[in-house]
Amino acid sequence: MNPGLRAARIALLLLGAACLAAGVSGGLARAGIPLAAPASAAFHGALMTGGFLGTVISLERAIALGSPIALAAPLASGLGALCLLRGISPLAQWLLLAAPLLLSAASVAIARRQPQPHTLLLVVAASAWVAGNALFIHGAPPDACAAWWFAFLVLTIAAERLEMTRLMKRRAAAKPLFYGLTATLLAGAALATLDPVPGDVVFGLALLGLALWLAAFDIARRTVRSDGLPRYAAVSLLAGYAWLGLGGLAWAAEPFAASAPRDAAMHALGLGFVFSMIFAHAPIIVPVVARVSVRFTPAFYAPLALLHASLALRLVPGFLQTDARRWGALLNAAAIALFVATLLASMTRRRA
Amino acid sequence: MAPDREPFSYTGPAELREVVTAALHRVIDPEMSLDIVALGLVYAVETRPGSVKARITMTSAACPVTELVVDDAIGELGRALGPGVEVGVEVVWDPPWDPDRMSAQARYALGWE
Repeated sequence: MNPGLRAARIALLLLGAACLAAGVSGGLARAGIPLAAPASAAFHGALMTGGFLGTVISLERAIALGSPIALAAPLASGLGALCLLRGISPLAQWLLLAAPLLLSAASVAIARRQPQPHTLLLVVAASAWVAGNALFIHGAPPDACAAWWFAFLVLTIAAERLEMTRLMKRRAAAKPLFYGLTATLLAGAALATLDPVPGDVVFGLALLGLALWLAAFDIARRTVRSDGLPRYAAVSLLAGYAWLGLGGLAWAAEPFAASAPRDAAMHALGLGFVFSMIFAHAPIIVPVVARVSVRFTPAFYAPLALLHASLALRLVPGFLQTDARRWGALLNAAAIALFVATLLASMTRRRA
Repeated sequence: MAPDREPFSYTGPAELREVVTAALHRVIDPEMSLDIVALGLVYAVETRPGSVKARITMTSAACPVTELVVDDAIGELGRALGPGVEVGVEVVWDPPWDPDRMSAQARYALGWE
């Protein structure tokens, strides 16, 4: 492979990692850890969803498309999020609008290459990111943006899982059920922009429905009985679906309770579901991006267990106690750091 | 379990069919832990003096692992056929992949039969 292209991919992966570091430090500051990171704390959600996840998702899509031009999407996403650390400038706004539009274009190109439900869903997911960032730029309340941002992440992951379920025999009702849940999720996000009370309930229940669908039909139910990396990935996925369901319930409960359910919902989804997916897929995808080999060892289970245990600590006793929430947040960050260290320790340069 | 039909169309010397089939069986889809022949991802292989060309597909055009699978297929075919043989692997999307293409063993493992 062209060494320049490999260097560009690694640079973009590091750009995503920089957003992750800024986003995590902002999250810790929000949880009450004494860190001088006011800008990261203010834009924690944008740094984590767009800055980190938007960058790595766009990078993955660009590699799948095989087009160096598509690398503009992760570049815009990562730079746009980092620009936020200096405030919402016109440059940041342009970049934050360009990134999801570029990802949408790359997704359309992939859907044209292979017109299948899962590739079309990736276009829908990227469009949800456009909606979230457009609202953010226009100063919409964070919760209204968050529904679109999570719709982007959940639908992106769901599309990839939908594709994998093609390998398994499914019941005839599975497909229409999936489409119905997807439409309900988007309707919930749109409704939440106008009126949070019905919108949050619809959105949360759609998340719960998707969690149940994935738990029932995902191929992880079979691969969990294998061994090595496929088993580890399946364990990560199935644990993630549990948090997706809980996050959906907490999201739906938001209009009927104080401020705590939203924090629980966001972190059950963002950490419990999305990061569990990252932990599952990074040992498969990072070798492609960076052209390295990753040797799977059971050590990968340690950060996974820490992620889920620390999230339980943060969300169950942490629901009422600030101290438990703070410790939970600190251990969440430790789980991510331990995962990155495990991944780096398992890498070797890939033979040509 | 029904017996397997030919997993892909093959053109070339009969004595090389087993060699290229064995080489492609060693290319593993990392997520499924199944090889690309068992998954029915290999459409055609053509061997000629000094060259081999394989046409493969993937289950998803959105999957970045394609690049890794192509590299592995080139590597395995190159090692199996020896130096001096030009190896080409092309990814195609038409006809679209279908679960019916999987081997009987893979279908059994995934609950189809």
